[in-house]
Amino acid sequence: MAEKVLEIRGLTAGFISDKGLLKAADNISLEIMRGETLCVVGESGSGKSVTSLAIMRLLDYAGGLIVDGEILFKGEDLTTKSQEEMGKIRGNKIAMIFQDPMSALNPVFTVGDQIAETLMIHQGMDRKQAMEEAIKLLGHVGIPAPEIRVKQYPHELSGGMCQRVVIAIALACKPDLLIADEPTTALDVTVQAQILDLLKSLQQEFGMSILLITHDMGVASEVADRIAVMYAGTIVEEGTVFDIFDHPSHPYTQGLLESIPGYETTRGSELYTIKGTIPRLGELPSGCRFHPRCPHATDKCRAMEPGSIQLSDTHRTACWLYQEEAGVKKS
Amino acid sequence: MSENLDQQEITAADSQADLRKPPGPWKIAAGKFVRNPYAMVSVFVLLFFVIVSFCAPFLTPYDPAKIDLKNSNLPPFSDGHLLGTDELGRDILTRLLYSGRISLTIGFSVALASVIIGSVVGAISGYFGGWIDTVLMRFVDVMYSLPTLFLNILVLAIFGDEFIYMILILSFTSWMGVARLVRGNFLQLREMQYVEAARAIGVPNRNIIFKHLLPNSIHPIIVNATLMVGGAILSESALSYLGLGIQAPQTSWGLMLSNAQEFMLTNKWLTVYPGVCILLVVLAVNFIGDGLQQALNPRGKKHPVRRLNEWRKKFSKSAA
Amino acid sequence: MGEYLIRRTIQAIVTLFLVTVFTFALIHLAPGGPTQVMIAPGVSPEAFEVQKRNLGLDQPVHIQYLQWMGRLLQGDLGTTFKNNLPVGDILWPTVGNTLVLMIAAWLVTLIIALPWGIYNSTKVYGISDQFASIVSYLGFAMPTFWFGIILQQIFAMNLKWLPLSDMWTYGKQGDIGDLVMHLIMPVTVLSLGFLASYVKYSRASMLEVLDQDYIRTARAKGVKESRVVFRHALRNALIPIVTILGLDLPILVSGAALTESVFNWPGMGRLFVSMANAREYSVLMAIVLVTSVFVILGNLLADILYAVVDPRVQLGRKGGGSK
Repeated sequence: MAEKVLEIRGLTAGFISDKGLLKAADNISLEIMRGETLCVVGESGSGKSVTSLAIMRLLDYAGGLIVDGEILFKGEDLTTKSQEEMGKIRGNKIAMIFQDPMSALNPVFTVGDQIAETLMIHQGMDRKQAMEEAIKLLGHVGIPAPEIRVKQYPHELSGGMCQRVVIAIALACKPDLLIADEPTTALDVTVQAQILDLLKSLQQEFGMSILLITHDMGVASEVADRIAVMYAGTIVEEGTVFDIFDHPSHPYTQGLLESIPGYETTRGSELYTIKGTIPRLGELPSGCRFHPRCPHATDKCRAMEPGSIQLSDTHRTACWLYQEEAGVKKS
Repeated sequence: MSENLDQQEITAADSQADLRKPPGPWKIAAGKFVRNPYAMVSVFVLLFFVIVSFCAPFLTPYDPAKIDLKNSNLPPFSDGHLLGTDELGRDILTRLLYSGRISLTIGFSVALASVIIGSVVGAISGYFGGWIDTVLMRFVDVMYSLPTLFLNILVLAIFGDEFIYMILILSFTSWMGVARLVRGNFLQLREMQYVEAARAIGVPNRNIIFKHLLPNSIHPIIVNATLMVGGAILSESALSYLGLGIQAPQTSWGLMLSNAQEFMLTNKWLTVYPGVCILLVVLAVNFIGDGLQQALNPRGKKHPVRRLNEWRKKFSKSAA
Repeated sequence: MGEYLIRRTIQAIVTLFLVTVFTFALIHLAPGGPTQVMIAPGVSPEAFEVQKRNLGLDQPVHIQYLQWMGRLLQGDLGTTFKNNLPVGDILWPTVGNTLVLMIAAWLVTLIIALPWGIYNSTKVYGISDQFASIVSYLGFAMPTFWFGIILQQIFAMNLKWLPLSDMWTYGKQGDIGDLVMHLIMPVTVLSLGFLASYVKYSRASMLEVLDQDYIRTARAKGVKESRVVFRHALRNALIPIVTILGLDLPILVSGAALTESVFNWPGMGRLFVSMANAREYSVLMAIVLVTSVFVILGNLLADILYAVVDPRVQLGRKGGGSK
């Protein structure tokens, strides 16, 4: 069996407000194998970004905190590390790319400086070596004329180019794990596909694992090996890409799939939408968090939160509909 | 991130309020303002100064300009002179009270006049845009690049240092902030659909400006006006201190300081009283301005930071 | 960057032109008109007419403006009523003294305010931050000249640590140590107001920058927190401060004038006040013009600095010094 790069056990993280603790991620468990791509899919507000920031331990800077659980990266628990220790891991072993590439780059430094900085910090290169390496990296992520681009500032580049630069920064130290938080959302559709292709080919080359966060099932279907669907801070369904797309079990996953235009529907029929909106933190409903929007909700759903049910070796879901059928007790 | 949460909470609170009878925005603001201790204390301080200086003739038997050399330089708590007398035997407390009249009158008149000038210029500039905007804003730039104090002194030297000129020139050199603020607001608002709708059905420009747009800029204008009162009082005191503002036999806190500096050796307290008066009044006005800003700004919600930090420590798994 | 600077220079020239028009208009709006402002009171009617013709005051207004500008451009700032001295001879020696005071105050402000504001931005609502907000409330509400008088009373009259006023002790002109002793109080007074606002500015600017996405990127790269603050955040936070530095120049000039009057500092401001009391209009006009030129040049310098700090200026995206 493949090596686990990252294992999250019972992670609870969120924010403190004057109303108390708001759990943006509530008892999350996930794992990522070497060389695998795991997509975390969910609407905005589902807690997927908080989860990714928690892994990087950048949540502390965003005003949030990790309350409970473990994040094991190659067996080491990241939640108990100091920020200084994390500094040696971030950008080196675990790298991250963000949603808006234009604002993710510092406007007052050249592209080359920003790539070289990572190399100088983690690989002990001097400036000259690092700049040469930066040019190579820019070429690697598909930027033409890298020796010119390396001296340019972010505002001189297009959004797609900037995202390539951000990827180059992330890959500079050949990380074991790349966390990509909505890496294509802010880009044009044509550029989106290019960036996803780039990520896939780089993954094969470097053999790294990718944790890709997206709200777009389409993106997930293109790149994911496995998919975890998040709703209101919990994982409602997890499985391989085939489990999720061929046998979606949770009503929320089914809803997400049906609301993709052209997914198993005939042309001209009305596009499906999930009624209602995701609940706010601190106003979570009783029982199953999805029940107010669920077409199959029963009294049991309103009263009790469902546990995780193993449907197959790779597929689990958190829904009362499958409880009896599978004959598994709440875990 | 935390800001988002703020908004969520606020909208949540709003939606709850919808169920009951919603209090008006002014009522909410007034409620917030009243609960701000700095602002409320300041209101009382300012009211105190306003009342005692405008009731001065009833509070003190002395004439502020009456020279009485027999009783000059009396120390504080002398018979009949609570704060003593100055080098010409004038009662210091009386002079402080009468000075307050001048300073407060100037402060409020200048703030009012500047707000009017600034709002009109800013409204025209922002509403019409184009070359009108360019010309007016260049003028604002010119006004900003002139050292205000020099301009004030020059005008007072040329036109004479009468009270009314003082108010006019101080207003004329302090309206630019309001103008920029109102213009910025208008530039955003005039693109709004309700403004276009009003224009489309033929509402005259004047009505659009005064009935639709200006009321929407009123909050920042009020805050700015309050802060301007303090600025004007400081400018007046500076001009009078330099001998170009208020002239004897009238009196102002700045003028009193100017005299006091000459007699620092004989009576050092003379310099303290007028300065403290200016400081207290300007502080009060500024605190009121801050209080208004916090009360009128729906997003400016203050967190009990220390408590949040304690909670953070308690909950956090990793020492941040 | 070239195009940007040319545009800013043209704007500066336009502003300068408007300032001269403005000043010129002021003389013509004065009661009694330019003759009263520019010709000494009490001359005989014949002398009055001669002077009026010499000054070109019998010409139409636009010709008068051109003649006045012509004289200005040749460095002729006019003469005083009293003793008929060239204004330049009185004015120029004071300019350097004012610059000494202003530059000293400016440096002290920046050296204290920037690090303080940056520190406070990393420890929001800490003790230092709350102390800074007390200082800023006082700084905004205290009449600077009163602060000066109080300092004089304590440090010159009572403790006798510092000289009461003036720039040099008599007979010690040129002694730098003596100058520094004389500078301490005026610089403290002049700096206080600016200190108050610059601690606030730099703190707010840093806080805004620290909240940006690219700071998160830097942290995600594993950059040390100290380097995040001083390299990644500071460069960006300085950009708005540079603009404000330029915009605040007129306030610095006004503040210096007031401070000079309190401490009898032989600068332009004190000259202005004494000439205003003597109604020497030609000197006043000259000083207003000279200070405006100075302010406009200062703004231009701030624009150049701005272009150096912010690479985006090259595209002219951020053209305005004003918000």
